[in-house]
Amino acid sequence: MLCLLFLTGCAFDVLHEKQLSASFAPISGQGRTWTLNEDLDVSFEGTTYKTHLKKGTRWQEVGHIAQGDVYVTKDQIVTVEGSNIHEAQVVLSGESVVGCFLPVEGTFAPARKPVAVHFAQN
Amino acid sequence: MFVFKRLTQAIVATLCVFALSSCASGQKFSEMSSSMPKTPTGQGRIYIYRTSALGAAIQPSIKVDGEVVGSAVPQGFVYVDRPAGNHEISASTEVKRTLSLTLAPGDKRYVRMDVSFGFFAGHIYPVLVEPAEGEAAIKNLHYIGK
Repeated sequence: MLCLLFLTGCAFDVLHEKQLSASFAPISGQGRTWTLNEDLDVSFEGTTYKTHLKKGTRWQEVGHIAQGDVYVTKDQIVTVEGSNIHEAQVVLSGESVVGCFLPVEGTFAPARKPVAVHFAQN
Repeated sequence: MFVFKRLTQAIVATLCVFALSSCASGQKFSEMSSSMPKTPTGQGRIYIYRTSALGAAIQPSIKVDGEVVGSAVPQGFVYVDRPAGNHEISASTEVKRTLSLTLAPGDKRYVRMDVSFGFFAGHIYPVLVEPAEGEAAIKNLHYIGK
């Protein structure tokens, strides 16, 4: 029990999601849009927290980083959570979520493994 | 046995009084919202609130970009207008846990201060919430800003 309490007390200091520096290039004009067809959970390297993406949310392409295309939505809050919480934008490569772009930090948080996305192009 | 029961009742009553006295008592959002100033052009508004009375004795300062804007008082809220761009919210408990968010002109962002248990004391930390959830939550909360 004491060990559990100890670990719980320290959890905030030990969960650091991996972050890689990323150079964001905004797109000019209207980007691609799509709607997510199913709920999706994305796990990130370095943290046990998952980011949940909701079925039916509409996503708009806003730019690119080296790891893929960056999408945002107005339909839900997206954060990456470790010791700290970061507002995030989804990064797609092909038809998989490969991680999140953290606009405040200007970094890329890689997913533990790419998650295939089932979506409808708008 | 009787003495133990009475002692327990006295402790519970004391804790209840303490918890209630630890809650915010300013004007409610629903009473003051119509008279609140408009957000200046080019800025957005961040509402920061705490509903939970759990760990009511722990009321750390709330910071936005390092500046203290109020305290995390149960049933209380504060709001700040900040230029569009990147911002960081934190509470100064034994462990600092920050929330980073973006703010667009005219935006309204809602941040809930949550409570969790630590090894020595509770932690209060900021969580970004959906606008609909934030709007509904602060209606009956009390203003505790400067």
